[in-house]
Amino acid sequence: MLEIKDLNLIYEDNYHVLKDINFKVEDGEIVGIIGLSGAGKTSLLRTLNLLQVPTSGKILLDGVDLTSLEKEELRKIRKKISIVFQHFNLLSSRTVFQNVALPLEIEGLLKKEIEDKVNKMLESMNLIPRKDAYPSQLSGGEKQRTAIARALISNPDIILFDEPTSSLDPKTTQKILDLILEINQSTKKSILIVTHEMDVIKKICDKVVYLKNGYVDFMGPVHEFFIEKETELNDEFYQEINIDWNSIWQMVKDKNQKLLKIVFWGSKTHEPVLYDVAKKYDVSVNILYGKIEHLKENPYGTMIVAIRSENSHVEKFLQELSKNVYKVEVLN
Amino acid sequence: MVQDLIFATLETLYMTLVSALFAILLGIPLGIALYMLSKSEKKSSKTLYSVLDWVVNIFRSIPFIILIILIIPLTRLLTGTIIGSTAAIVPLSIAAIPFMARLAENSFNNLSQGLWDTAVSMGMTNWQFISKVLLPETAPEMVANITLLIINLITYTAIAGAVGAGGLGAMAINYGYQRFRMDVLIYDVIILVLLTQVIQFAGTKISNSLRK
Ligand SMILES: Nc1ncnc2c1ncn2[C@@H]1O[C@H](COP(=O)(O)OP(=O)(O)OP(=O)(O)O)[C@@H](O)[C@H]1O
Ligand SMILES: [Mg+2]
Repeated sequence: MLEIKDLNLIYEDNYHVLKDINFKVEDGEIVGIIGLSGAGKTSLLRTLNLLQVPTSGKILLDGVDLTSLEKEELRKIRKKISIVFQHFNLLSSRTVFQNVALPLEIEGLLKKEIEDKVNKMLESMNLIPRKDAYPSQLSGGEKQRTAIARALISNPDIILFDEPTSSLDPKTTQKILDLILEINQSTKKSILIVTHEMDVIKKICDKVVYLKNGYVDFMGPVHEFFIEKETELNDEFYQEINIDWNSIWQMVKDKNQKLLKIVFWGSKTHEPVLYDVAKKYDVSVNILYGKIEHLKENPYGTMIVAIRSENSHVEKFLQELSKNVYKVEVLN
Repeated sequence: MVQDLIFATLETLYMTLVSALFAILLGIPLGIALYMLSKSEKKSSKTLYSVLDWVVNIFRSIPFIILIILIIPLTRLLTGTIIGSTAAIVPLSIAAIPFMARLAENSFNNLSQGLWDTAVSMGMTNWQFISKVLLPETAPEMVANITLLIINLITYTAIAGAVGAGGLGAMAINYGYQRFRMDVLIYDVIILVLLTQVIQFAGTKISNSLRK
């Protein structure tokens, strides 16, 4: 488990980039750190294995505070934290095979042993046909897979990714995300991903840390993040809820209706809950907006509906609906 | 005269290559030391860096002809004489070592911060970093540096020739300057140009073949 406590980083030019950061990455979890450009994501990632020494605070890996370690101990413990860098940082003088073998050479493993392990790793990464190619001869996706293979080969406890998909096209992005998810599921390794892409959070993360101007603005499960921060995310990350609010407000006012926002999450999203409850209490429902997307394996939906409010069962309708969906909010 | 030219060429090559060898064997490690010290967080390293940096700058700023004269006692101590090609190797090396160190340091500095970060986060020791990352990654540039070093050394041997070092420089002075033998001077220059061209061509070839 990786735990960050009261972390502060002030650069030499007195720029305070990280302010009282606290969060945990539990074993086997995928945590996403999201924030706009300049929020301090890379700075945070670099402090986690002390590439950048924090000004204050603790970084605990399974209870051991990295900031208190001597140089030699720190060097050893760093092998438990692998980083996949934004620009891959492959050695141009080495082939794919030799790049992946590097962490094992450092360990001083025997040549035969290295060969077996690397070949196995390349096999699982679909890199065997490219094993003798140099980085300059690789595509972006191949470079990323090589970098991931290199990070995995030393069998670390946790893997940190800095913007793993920002330089890849959508199709390759999807493949790399699938790969990260698969690594997490098959090896149960903890994964921390820094990104500015909402899709990465939606598709593979369990938890999210939202970094804003150097502060942790939100930290918790992904679906709560989307519910709690929806408006803000719409503004900052162009999440779309495309509705013409003005005409809707006018309409509900004219017709004396109640406007509801219903949030679905989890298995019930695909059940006809709204229909059933509406029928039971004889409430007429007018759907104005709806969308369903997937957060990792769970569906997540938002619906905006108008209901007729002269019906005497409305309160009961709302109560029962609330029990069956994730959240109901009366907007007027 | 042809014999003299051949002999002078060999002398020039001898002085150039032996001092280049010293420069490579001592200058590149000095360059590595400069780079590693500049990367270290320790205060003592920073101080040591400033001292070495300063020494290198001093040697680089003394004009070669003055350096030859300045270190005459050292030359005599090491070679027992101050005349001839072997004696010239001392000032040539002393000028070439800091030059090589600076070229090497520059190439190392061009290495991306990312590779340094990668090495540190993998838990490499300094030696592992030098042998597995620093030197292999800068090999093509280092060959180009060595090529530049050798070509500069050829020019320096000509200067050393003016004060008794022998070689093509001395020959140009003896025949061309003192006896007005323009033909000898021209042959002399042709050989120098050819040497430089061949070395540059070979250097570029090797450097490119190392670029992956
Ligand atoms: N070594 C440094 N010294 C001083 N300021 C720095 C240093 N590194 C980064 N900064 C500043 O800290 C802030 C955060 O930078 P950082 O690279 O961590 O942001 P980021 O969230 O990773 O952004 P991006 O999404 O663009 O990569 C920026 O304003 C940057 O200019
Ligand atoms: Mg960044």
